[in-house]
Amino acid sequence: MLEASEIHATLVGAVSAVLVALAIAATFWWMLHPPSSTVERRAKEAETELERMVGSIIVVFTPEIASSHMMALAAKVARGERSELLAIYVIELPYTLPPDAEMPLEERGALDALGAAESIAKNSGISIRTEIVKARSTKQAVLDIAKRERANLIVIGDHREGKYVGAPLSRTIEEIAADAKCDVLIGVEGKHGTLFVGEASQSATTEPPASQS
Amino acid sequence: MDARVTPQARTPELRRAVTPWGSFSWGYSDVGADIFIGLGLVLAAAAGASNVAFLFAGIVYVCIGLAYTELAAAYPFAGGGPYFVLRGLGDVFGFIAGWAVLLDFTIDITLFAWSCVDYSGQLLPVLVGSVHPWVHFTVVLGLIVALCVLNVVGVRESTAFNGIVSALDVASETCILCFGFLFAFQPELLIHNMTASWPSPYHLMLGTSLAIISFVGLESISQAAQETYRPASVIPRTSVALILTILIFALAYSNLALGMQPWHPIVGNHGQHLQFWQIFPSSADNQGKAVALLAAQVPYWGAIAALYVPVLGAILLLISSNSWVFGSSRIAYSMSRADLLPSVFQRVHPRFRTPAVSIFAFCGLAALTLAFAALPALFPGAMAFYARVFHGESGLDFLADLYAFGAATSYSFVFIALIALRLTDPHSPRKFKIPLNIPVRFRGEKATIPLLGIVGFVGIFSILIFTLMTHPIGRIAGPSWLLLGVILYFVYRRHRGLPYLRSQKHDWRRHQMEILRTSGDLELLDEYTANLKAAENRTGDGSHA
Repeated sequence: MLEASEIHATLVGAVSAVLVALAIAATFWWMLHPPSSTVERRAKEAETELERMVGSIIVVFTPEIASSHMMALAAKVARGERSELLAIYVIELPYTLPPDAEMPLEERGALDALGAAESIAKNSGISIRTEIVKARSTKQAVLDIAKRERANLIVIGDHREGKYVGAPLSRTIEEIAADAKCDVLIGVEGKHGTLFVGEASQSATTEPPASQS
Repeated sequence: MDARVTPQARTPELRRAVTPWGSFSWGYSDVGADIFIGLGLVLAAAAGASNVAFLFAGIVYVCIGLAYTELAAAYPFAGGGPYFVLRGLGDVFGFIAGWAVLLDFTIDITLFAWSCVDYSGQLLPVLVGSVHPWVHFTVVLGLIVALCVLNVVGVRESTAFNGIVSALDVASETCILCFGFLFAFQPELLIHNMTASWPSPYHLMLGTSLAIISFVGLESISQAAQETYRPASVIPRTSVALILTILIFALAYSNLALGMQPWHPIVGNHGQHLQFWQIFPSSADNQGKAVALLAAQVPYWGAIAALYVPVLGAILLLISSNSWVFGSSRIAYSMSRADLLPSVFQRVHPRFRTPAVSIFAFCGLAALTLAFAALPALFPGAMAFYARVFHGESGLDFLADLYAFGAATSYSFVFIALIALRLTDPHSPRKFKIPLNIPVRFRGEKATIPLLGIVGFVGIFSILIFTLMTHPIGRIAGPSWLLLGVILYFVYRRHRGLPYLRSQKHDWRRHQMEILRTSGDLELLDEYTANLKAAENRTGDGSHA
């Protein structure tokens, strides 16, 4: 074992040590904070806006509106932004039926859709709440829940008024977009998913293309 | 085979993905390693004036750093110093600057591999050069060959690995210095050593010329400029931060080494107690691992530092050595593309797609340098010849001599190129400009001359003179290298039918616009276009280049 000398602590030495540490720390802080450019400032504003926009997200399903692909997108956004996610399935109750009427077929469809939503959320590593809502008007139900949940974003798939190419979007979706107090993200597929079909047929040679919802 | 083509096939470009920390660590892995070699050499040469030698070299280095910062931010293109000189002074001087840098890079491959083995020898006594010269030589040669092979097959350390090692080293060196100053620094001892062991003017010049090697490597940041995101904004910050960090370390280490009371008493051959710095003049082994020896003498922290600093130092030096292999081949490749070197240096390996000829050529040269440096230790009979011709210099001194010559020469040209570009290209936006400028008019245009550029040139030129005066090997081999290069250059230009002294025609304006377009700083492109337009309106034509 080597013999050790005694400690030589001096004021000059202490000041020098502090100066070295401070100078190095200050240099690195300054280096890592370069001035931002115009495009970076714009990007920052957009990110801040996104954070504000996606604090609480509601994904809307109905028997007509299949939103699974938008659910996958919402789950990815929610994971990145740590948002709250709520998936609702709205069953529109005809006025001819009482408010507590049972609609087994629609409810079964709701369980399938919300089960798929939970599965997507699980795969994305986020938690999700689900809710089946029976209402006289889909639009009103969605807007009421958005108000109750203080939602920042409503995510909804598309449904068209007709089967023909170029048919307008469903009136319900238009009304939700028009009357919602928050942002609405509508996932409109290309012309019957031709982009997906085209890419899949080009790339998939050994295995079939993944099914699209 | 798939016959489809993409609608717009483009020439692959270097991707701008290097962040501020990436840019810093890229430079730090080169410059940061220098102090591991420079400290021991300077303490051995300049003794009690080591801190003054570092201060003088540091002032020059600040000027060099500022010049590189301005040029790399204004011309963010891979190529570094030779590219700036090519743009500012034309083909011949661009070649000479590049050739001097190639000398430096080739020497660096050997020097850093050598010092890497010296640091490893702190933990593995079998690698100590003075005791086992053949083992030392074989391991250094093995490292050079291994780096050559790795670079040919295209394996390089990742930027992330560089970043981690750099961060560890900065933290480690800060801790060593803080503990050293807190518990072992005696101001009166520093003053005593400075007065009692002040060197002769010759040794002060020798020390100063060696101190400059602690600051070589800024090339790396400017070479990475083309891959740095928003280089005009990021590079000034990372360069200045690198300059300050290295300067702080160099000045702090030299002052601590002179004013340090060793934690474990050091006993000389005659039983007398030695000051810490006194272990360097008489031992080449110690010179090669100064930081590890200093760290081991720091109270408390030294117990840990003695174990990890040799390893960290060896890794940093190996990374540095590797980057010189990569850098030398890259510079030779870019010089060859600019018709300054034969096209054989552009030849890429058919399988690995790397500039294999360049890599083999410069690694071969590095191995040859190693043989020259190690010859007296391997064959003591050669010592007499070295004593007669090179004043007995061999080993680390041999390599450091050439290193100092190459660095001082290439930096001198960069200062001249800086001043020339200020005059001939006043339209390129300079987001960072060296302070203290003299306004002048040149060819009817407003321009400025950087006062610090002139000061820096005088400083680095004086260091070049010191090197020629005090380094026998630098005095002989350095100018011989340049002369050989110039002869080869003229032969090559004659062979290609290119002008000897005049430059080829370069469309620098279009080149600059392309650089700025891809740099991410689009405001600078707007500024450049506006400057050119204003100049055209003033002169009534578009003849500005």
